[in-house]
This record gives sequence, structure tokens and C-alpha cells, in this order.
Amino acid sequence: MELREFNNQVHPSPDYPSPYSSQHSLRLRTGPTQDTSAVQFDWSSPPEDAEDSNEPQNLRELPLHMSLKRAVWQVQKMKVPVVSSSWNIKRSKTFHRFCEVAKYILSYFVLWNRGIQRIGGHFGGGVRSYFLFLRFLVILNFLSSLLIAAFVLIPSIVFRSMKFNSTIALTVNLNGTESCLHYDPKPDALMVFYTYFLDLVSGTGFMEYSYLFYGYYNNSKIESNGFSYNIPLAYLLTAAFYFLFCLICMIIRMGGTARLVVVTGGGAVGGYSMLVFTGWDHGLQGDRTTKLKQNNLRHRLQVDLEEERLKKKAASLTLGQTVSLYALRVFLNLVVLILIGAAFYGIAEATQFSQSRKTTGFVGLLLQYLPSMVITASNFVVPLLCDKIALLEKYSPSTTVILALLRAVFLRLVSLGVLLYTLWEQITCKGEINSGNCEPCSYYYDQYKCWETRVGQEMYKLTLFDFLITITTLILVEFPRRIVVDHCSCKLTQWVGRQEFLVAPNVLALVYSQTVVWTGALFCPLLPFINTIKFIFFFYCKKITLFQNCQPATRNFRSTTSNFFFLLVLLFGWMLSSVVLLYSVSKIHPSYGCGPFRIYPAMWEVVPEAVKMLSSSSKEFLFYIGSQKCSIPLFIFSCVLLCYVNVLTSVHGKSVALLRSQCKLEQRDKQFLVRQIEELNATMQNLHREPQQPLRETEPFYHTSPQWNQYNNYAFDPNEDPNPY
Amino acid sequence: MGNKQTIFTDEQLDAYQDCTFFTRKEILRLHGRYHELAPHLVPMDYTNDPDVKVPLALIVNMPELKENPFRNRIVESFSEDGQGNLSFNDFVDMFSVLSEMAPRELKAIYAFKIYDFNVDNYICKEDLEKTLNRLTKEELTPEEVVLVCEKAIEEADLDGDNKLSFADFENMISRAPDFLSTFHIRI
Repeated sequence: MELREFNNQVHPSPDYPSPYSSQHSLRLRTGPTQDTSAVQFDWSSPPEDAEDSNEPQNLRELPLHMSLKRAVWQVQKMKVPVVSSSWNIKRSKTFHRFCEVAKYILSYFVLWNRGIQRIGGHFGGGVRSYFLFLRFLVILNFLSSLLIAAFVLIPSIVFRSMKFNSTIALTVNLNGTESCLHYDPKPDALMVFYTYFLDLVSGTGFMEYSYLFYGYYNNSKIESNGFSYNIPLAYLLTAAFYFLFCLICMIIRMGGTARLVVVTGGGAVGGYSMLVFTGWDHGLQGDRTTKLKQNNLRHRLQVDLEEERLKKKAASLTLGQTVSLYALRVFLNLVVLILIGAAFYGIAEATQFSQSRKTTGFVGLLLQYLPSMVITASNFVVPLLCDKIALLEKYSPSTTVILALLRAVFLRLVSLGVLLYTLWEQITCKGEINSGNCEPCSYYYDQYKCWETRVGQEMYKLTLFDFLITITTLILVEFPRRIVVDHCSCKLTQWVGRQEFLVAPNVLALVYSQTVVWTGALFCPLLPFINTIKFIFFFYCKKITLFQNCQPATRNFRSTTSNFFFLLVLLFGWMLSSVVLLYSVSKIHPSYGCGPFRIYPAMWEVVPEAVKMLSSSSKEFLFYIGSQKCSIPLFIFSCVLLCYVNVLTSVHGKSVALLRSQCKLEQRDKQFLVRQIEELNATMQNLHREPQQPLRETEPFYHTSPQWNQYNNYAFDPNEDPNPY
Repeated sequence: MGNKQTIFTDEQLDAYQDCTFFTRKEILRLHGRYHELAPHLVPMDYTNDPDVKVPLALIVNMPELKENPFRNRIVESFSEDGQGNLSFNDFVDMFSVLSEMAPRELKAIYAFKIYDFNVDNYICKEDLEKTLNRLTKEELTPEEVVLVCEKAIEEADLDGDNKLSFADFENMISRAPDFLSTFHIRI
């Protein structure tokens, strides 16, 4: 179908290939005048030979008035010739309807679909992208907890309840390490009531010796009646698959976002026109939200104009001013680095202090939560100070936002890294496993009888504290703020205003939580499950606070590029936790007294031992894959594939740019041709009006051509003698 | 499902289902909304296709459109007479194009119609200025308005005639990732 565009109206311009081509040959011609709303049909067009299944869809996509579409529909219905093909058509129509109904019903099953759409309608795309990200993390955590439960938790429960003990003989040589075997976390029978609560929140006592932590799992290898299950191997491989699964999910999601970013050129080009034409969200309802959206747009436009002004100003600075500006920026960056370094030092000290003390009771609880408190405080205070410093740096607004985000990400992820590094230092006596406290057991046995459980406890505490702080902030800060702002009309409250839902800090908080969970999953297998529940709580709490307490952000948010950025940060978090996983699996000696790996020199050693027990053909196959004969060609092949995909991307990008410039050229050509036709028409009309007698005697040959043209093109004038000679 | 409704014939409902992105239920619900706008004007029985048009003033009072700065232009672009009086056909058509299932090309055509205030098939500077004023509640200074309009035309105009034809508009829209989600009214 060649659908003429609305403004090809004045002159019969050449057929442009329509963007919605189909197999229809229904021709639509616009009227001869500039009346574009009256589209006329060419009823004399040849009959259609289209595929019937495309008809319903194409009719919907026609930009005609409804009465005309219904007329077309009638015509199409009448043109159904044979009885059997009408049955085919009916069948395909019913199938289409069924698909539509099925899609509609399935949309009910997508988790929180309606809620998120409502949020998008009231608060815009940025806030909506936060909730979409939260939903993605909930599903990821839920699936991972199912994975861990199926392969590690349930077999352990089953084997424990069937009272299978470790059926392998201790053939390992315990020269001098017998003292390392003592590990007795079982709580005393008589306990004061509040210690239950303390144990619950700090992961000690009755919580320590439970399925929650690594220490409770046995190294049972069951072999009976042809059924064999190796718990240590299952534990390790489940952890590895869990990481791989998360990586694949993230990459798939990033791929979708990246494609959009590449196609739309990052959204940075064409800022003003896109803002004016696509900035208004027509789905917004309500007086207040509309006014806010208008303020928002005005603010964005003013910010963009301000950026231009700043750019012009920056380009016009003298050399002296530029040098002083850069010197100021370097100095302020140093100040920011010192601040962040101070935060790291504080975290390291707090961790060391809390690990080395052993007080009980409420003070002990506070001490145990000291690292979490310092991390949360620094995550709150340092970005605030950095924002104030950024005001002095005089960057353009968009650069300021990006810089603030980068600093916040750096602070959060590296502070977690500092905590883990401090723990490692303590556990392995700064890496020297054969000196001092780490002498007999290759780890600091006196303090860490079961070091994996301790690390798991730290991660558990971080998760709980994060949850606690969020809920407390909600109750103690956001609700009172709203109540005060709404009921007290003094100037201070109006200046402070209602809470704004800032997307970036919230998303970074989610990334931080998820990184903590990934780091702790090896040592605390139930942590993904706890995190699922925590994130579900977050969803409902954030939704409530959004609708009750918040106003839409005045500063807006480029959602597409930001989505990609947040997934990238999540990927960095994943890489940090995978470093921790790889290091603890391969380098640190597992505890002698607890856990599934207690007899191995490193957790990794389970795998070679299991491989040794395979049949010889599978062993050969595995060795072959791992050997150089196979892995090097595989590596080269994957490099070639990577290069190919890269080249394909750049070719596509170049062809998009080429097509765009071609579009431009075609438009210019069309204009040129239109002008030419107009000029030609004007000259023809002038020639037609001039008296023809004086021209006849002089140039007879030349006159036959215009007269011949006239004779052929225009209505034949019977009064004019067609043959002048 | 067995509910015998007497508002439309089956053939009419089939036609509406094939010509719009709505299902049977949604079309009946839309009829209910249309009837609510002018209960004395709109008959409940549409089986013989009555020629009834609800005037613009009543349509722009719908909660979905009430606060939209472009409500008059939206209704005018979908009306057959160009004055904003919608028959039920036009009403359904309007919400079908504005629904989330309509493709990008179709929405771009109607968006262009909406932003073209003087209906000359080009978005010229005056059209842009009117759009901008409605977007920002007229709170930008006149210099800022002129500046933004100049920049917008500069960015999107491909053929250099200082106004945006449909091809320019569509080219610019194709690079906007949020267009589909913002040009969407849920009913």
C-alpha cells in the first residue's frame, strides 16, 4: 500500500516509498487542493491480492477518519469471494482475537504491572525506571533463592533429618591442627529473653548454628542405591551458577537498553526539539501534577539555555581565568578525595574495633553494628558535602549531575571493599598465614573459629541495618516532614517543601544492597531469600511514601541513558563480589571446625577430587576441554566473533548516519524540483498569453513544439486551428 | 459470553474491533463514557448509526483531557469537521490512536496534526511558540521563547525552509525514545 503523506498536496510529487509498506495495493490519493483532511479513495484501483491475516492490523494503522475506515472494512468484507477462504479468514481472525485477549490477560500476571503504570502516570519516566529496576532485582533474587534452595538447602535438610553423617574417613593429615577443630556455637539452654532478639539481629547464638550460615552445613557425601549427592560440590557449583545466572540476566537487560541508546543516539542530540514535542506526558491527570510538569519543563528548558550560556562564557574566558578555574577544580577534587579517604579510614577502624571486642548485651549489639553505622553515615554525609563543593566548581549542570553520581558510586562500592579488605586482614593476619596468630590453622583461629560464618554475619548485619535505616527514615523523617509542610505555613517550611523522590540516590542504594547480597551469598545461603523479602517490602514502602509524601522532581532525568548507567554500576558491584568469591574459594583455607569444606586445603579442591571420581571417558572429555588444544582455538574464535560484532555495530551506525544525510538531500532535491516546476509553469503560462502571430513567420520549427505540447496536454480547443501551415 | 447487549449490532462491533486497537468490552465501555458526556444527546441504541456529535466544550471536560494543555487541538484533530465536534466514530478513533498499542508511525502523524495549530501542514515558528507557551504555562520570557523555537527548528529542520514538514517531524520523533510512552492517554 502506498500511503501518500499528508503534505504532498500541491503538486503531484513522485511516489515516496512508504514506511508502512504492505502487500495492499489500495491507493489513496489526496485531494487536489490543500484540504488534507478529506482523503479520497481511488475506487478504480485494481483489486487487492493481499494476505488476509494482515488486513485487520493494517486497517487499524491507517490514519483515516473512522467513518472512512469502516467504509473500507465494508468493502473488504464484501470482496470475500469463495466460501472456503471465508472460513480461513474467520479462523485467522478468531486466532488474532484470541491472541489479543491472551496478551491482555497475561499482562495481569506481570508482577506489579498496574502499580508501576500508575506511578509512571503520576511521576514520570524517571521514578518509573527506579521501580522497574527494583522489580528486576526482586525477580532475580527470588529465582536465585529458588536455585539455592533446590540444590543446597533442601538436600541438606533431607540428609540431616535422615541422620546421615559424614561417611568419608578423615584421611587428611592433621599434623598439629587438632586444636583448630573446636567449634561449638550451640547456645546455652538458659537464656534471658532479650538475648533471643539480640541474636536475631546480629546473627549469633541460635541464629549462628542454623541453615542461615555456612557453618551449619555438613560435608556429607551420600552414596546409596545408585544415588549419590555430594553436598560440598553442590554448594560450590550452586554458588558459581548463581553468579553466572545473575551475570546473564544483567547482560540481557543491558543489551535491550543499549540497543535503544544506540538507535536513538543517546538522546543528547536534538535536545530542544525533542523536549518540546515529546516532553509533555499526555497521560498525566490532575491539576497539581500538570502544574508540576509544566514547572518541570520550564525548568529543564531554562537549565538547557543556561548550559549554552555557560558554554559560551567558558569559551570566552581569558587564559588567566581558565588557569585559575582549573587550579580551583583540581584543589576541590583533592578535597573530595581526602573526604572519601577519611570515610574509608573511619570504616577500617570501626571494623577492626568491632571485630576485636567481645562484649555482650545491648552495648555489644551496638558494637557489632558499628561498621554498618559508619558506612551508612558516610554514604549520607559525604555526598552532601560533595554537592556543596560542586557548587564551587562551576561545571555545567549536566556535568555536575554525572560527577555527583560517579562520586557516590565510587564511595559506596569502595567502602564495601574497604570493609571486606579489613576483614580479610584480620582473618588472614594481613596475608601472612604462617606467622603469629595464624600459625597452626592458616587463619586467625582464636577470633574466628568459623571465619566464613563471621563474614556471613557481617553481610547479614549490613543487609538488616540497611533495611532498618530505610524504614526508620520513612517513618521518622518523611511522614513528619509532609505533615509539617502541609499544616504549618511559615516561610521555613515552604522553603524546605515536600520531599522529592530523587531517583539516583535510591537506585544506588539498591545497587549497594544487591552487592552486599552477592558478596555474602557464599557464606550465608539464605541471604538472597532475605533480600527478596526486603526488596518486596521496599517496593510497597517506597510506593506509599511516593504517593503520600513526595512531589515530582523538579530536576529531570534522562531515563534511557540512565537505565544503562545503573545496570553498568550493578555490573561493577557484581565484579567486586565475584573477586571476593574467587579469592575466598581459591586462596583462603576453609575452617577446620565447620562447614562443608572442612577437610580441604581450599574450597576449590572439591572439584578436582570429584572429577577424579568420574568415569574415564568423561574425565578425558573434561581434560580435553581444559587443555590447550581446545581452549586456545576457542579463545581465538570468541575474539574473532567479538570483532565481527563490533564491526557490524559500527557499520550499522554509519549506515544510519548515511541514511539520515540522504533523507536531507532528498528533501532538498524535492524542493529544488518543486521550484523548477513552478518556474516552468510560470514561463509556460506567460508564453500562452502572448499573441502568437509575430512568432509564426520567424521560427516555424520552434513553434510546433509548444503548440504540439499544448495540443497534447491541455484540452483541445476546437476554435484553434491545430495545423497552422 | 452470553450477555446480549443492544447498543451495537455484532457487525458494528466487529468493524470497530478491526478498525481500532480496542476489544469488544472496551468499545462498550467507551460508549458508556461517551454517553456520560451528553446523556440527552447520545442515544443508547447505536444499531442504526445515528449521526450524533458531542460538542468540543463537553469533550474537553473529560477527566483524562481536562488538564491537558493541548486538549482543544487534540479533539480538533480527530474531528471530521475540524471544529472539535466528535461523533462516536471519532471518539473511539481518538482513544485508539492515543492507546498504548498504536504504532509509532500512526502516533507521529496525529502528533504532527496536533502541533500544527494553523493547519497548513507545516509546523512553523508561530506553531512552535504556541506549543511552547502551552507547555510552560507562559512562564518563559519572550527572549527565551524565541531562542528555544530557533534552536528547535534548527535541530529538526532538514530541508532548510525554516519550518518543519512531516518528514522532519517524523525523523526527529524516530530518535525520541520516550515518545510512545508520553503520547499515551489511558481510558
